[in-house]
Amino acid sequence: MVLKSLNDLRNIVAGGPKKKLVVAAAQDQHSMGAIVRAWKDNVIEPVLVGDKESILNISAENNYDITGVSIVNEPDIEMATQLAVRMVNNHQGDILMKGKVGTSILLKCVLNREWGLRTGNMLSHFALFEVDTYHKVIAVTDVAMNISPNLQDKIAIINNSVGCLVKLGYHMPKVAILGAVEMVNENMEATLHAALLSKMNQRDQIKDCIIDGPLAFDNAVSLESAKHKGIRSEVAGDTDLLLMPDIEVGNVLYKSLVFFAKAKVAAVILGARVPIVLTSRSDSEQAKFDSILLAAAASR
Amino acid sequence: MVEKVLSMKKKHRIAVAWAQDTNTIGAINLSVRNGLVDAIMIGTPEKISEVCNNNGIDPGIFTITGCENEALASETAVQMVKTGDADIIMKGLVGTDIFLKAVMDKNKGLMQPDAVLSYVGVIEIPEYSKLLFVTDPAVIPYPGLKQKIAMTAYAIEMARKFGIWNPKVALIGASEKGSSHFLYSSDYAEIKSMGAMGKFGKCIIDGPLDLYLACDRKSNEIKGVSTPVAGDADILLFPSLEACNPFYKSLMLFSHGELGGLIMGTDKPVVLMSRSESEKSKYYCIALACLMD
Repeated sequence: MVLKSLNDLRNIVAGGPKKKLVVAAAQDQHSMGAIVRAWKDNVIEPVLVGDKESILNISAENNYDITGVSIVNEPDIEMATQLAVRMVNNHQGDILMKGKVGTSILLKCVLNREWGLRTGNMLSHFALFEVDTYHKVIAVTDVAMNISPNLQDKIAIINNSVGCLVKLGYHMPKVAILGAVEMVNENMEATLHAALLSKMNQRDQIKDCIIDGPLAFDNAVSLESAKHKGIRSEVAGDTDLLLMPDIEVGNVLYKSLVFFAKAKVAAVILGARVPIVLTSRSDSEQAKFDSILLAAAASR
Repeated sequence: MVEKVLSMKKKHRIAVAWAQDTNTIGAINLSVRNGLVDAIMIGTPEKISEVCNNNGIDPGIFTITGCENEALASETAVQMVKTGDADIIMKGLVGTDIFLKAVMDKNKGLMQPDAVLSYVGVIEIPEYSKLLFVTDPAVIPYPGLKQKIAMTAYAIEMARKFGIWNPKVALIGASEKGSSHFLYSSDYAEIKSMGAMGKFGKCIIDGPLDLYLACDRKSNEIKGVSTPVAGDADILLFPSLEACNPFYKSLMLFSHGELGGLIMGTDKPVVLMSRSESEKSKYYCIALACLMD
């Protein structure tokens, strides 16, 4: 199965047990709307950890009826974050979400060796985009977390992402390793990595997916472009997952898709014990909602 | 843009190296018919006639110059510009490396002494209120300071040709914060101060900026960052080809963008496009070359 739209995530979630979403420092008016909507839509069961008074105030100001939602009162932001992470560590939560806490504090807690959510895997960012100019949803990684991943890091990032796609119902997703050109060029490290990753995939060192690269962006997403250049590839023009060479590339592409291509986007952090929803203020409420939906689908 | 060129009332002569594929001949045909250029097609005459006939194009509207192979065709095209027999050269079905070798040849080529060869793209996107100039999606993999300075100057030069007298230049990064993680930070600081000293003429330069701060007016408020570019950039300078190339292509494929672009740093305009680009994009590039000549 492949996702045609982000709405398809609903079908994955529907009917299953409701996932528990633990929110760290939930007194955050930028994320509360999406959380309440996901709760009303029966996607998740929220547990709001944070300053109870502020949470109730924000709800009242925005007319959110949160009667029946469980709130754990902890006014201190850092303590609330720690508490939220400890709850997930104790199997009292299926998804962790960032509220009004800085990303660095949240990640520090997640990576705590004693009570954090480490699995031994690297953390990586995973985003799904829906654009009307591509025939299905396209996953992109890593546009936000790892600055300039080396070869080992890239393998870990692919494994995280493919694992997630398989949970969403994909079978042998097609992975394109993005380069500025489709030829291996010894002066461009990303193209060397791409060649190695493709070969490692052929030799089953990286499993459960079909990898090809380097592919330039046009060849990865347009069969016509690939044909024009005479590229023979199972992945070209039909990419499910696009691996970025580094964050500089990923960040610009992410923002270009959202701003210029009017893409719908959902994103989570993978590699911890549970999916982590870590959205930024500039994300739309819809993007936050879809990210919660993705996390719920990925936590099966 | 095309209207602007036509209003110049000067017909440019374009020499096309190895002009024997459908896309190239189609674009040249359109340009000739619309009165932009007179064209000299260099290649195998039989093949050129064949492609013309297959596409219902009259080969009689071109001057055809016979030539044996791609490399010779490239050298001949360059030579024609050198001797004043043509104003613009364009790459046909030649590999980019072969074509650029002829352009960059120290003695017979078209390079200005000590110049940086780079590429400036022009994009029209429905979601943006004006043209966006972007560099470098095609030539320099990892520009150093000297190259970034040249790229900035080229993009500003091109914007001015479009009547943008005080262009806003955004130096693009993953975030607006300077950081030792990002090697472009110090180059950007240098270019910014050069801009402030007036080294590029009248313009506004700021960076690093992420794409939102560069192009989205609303994001300045949301992020609380104040920048003179303020979501209204004319020019985007990228830290690498790796970042610029997918961005450029994503606009074409996912955002309904129309592209044009030109090699910069040569004596005369050089049109170089990917073989896979459409006839329409190639047509815009020819118009752009006329404008820059």
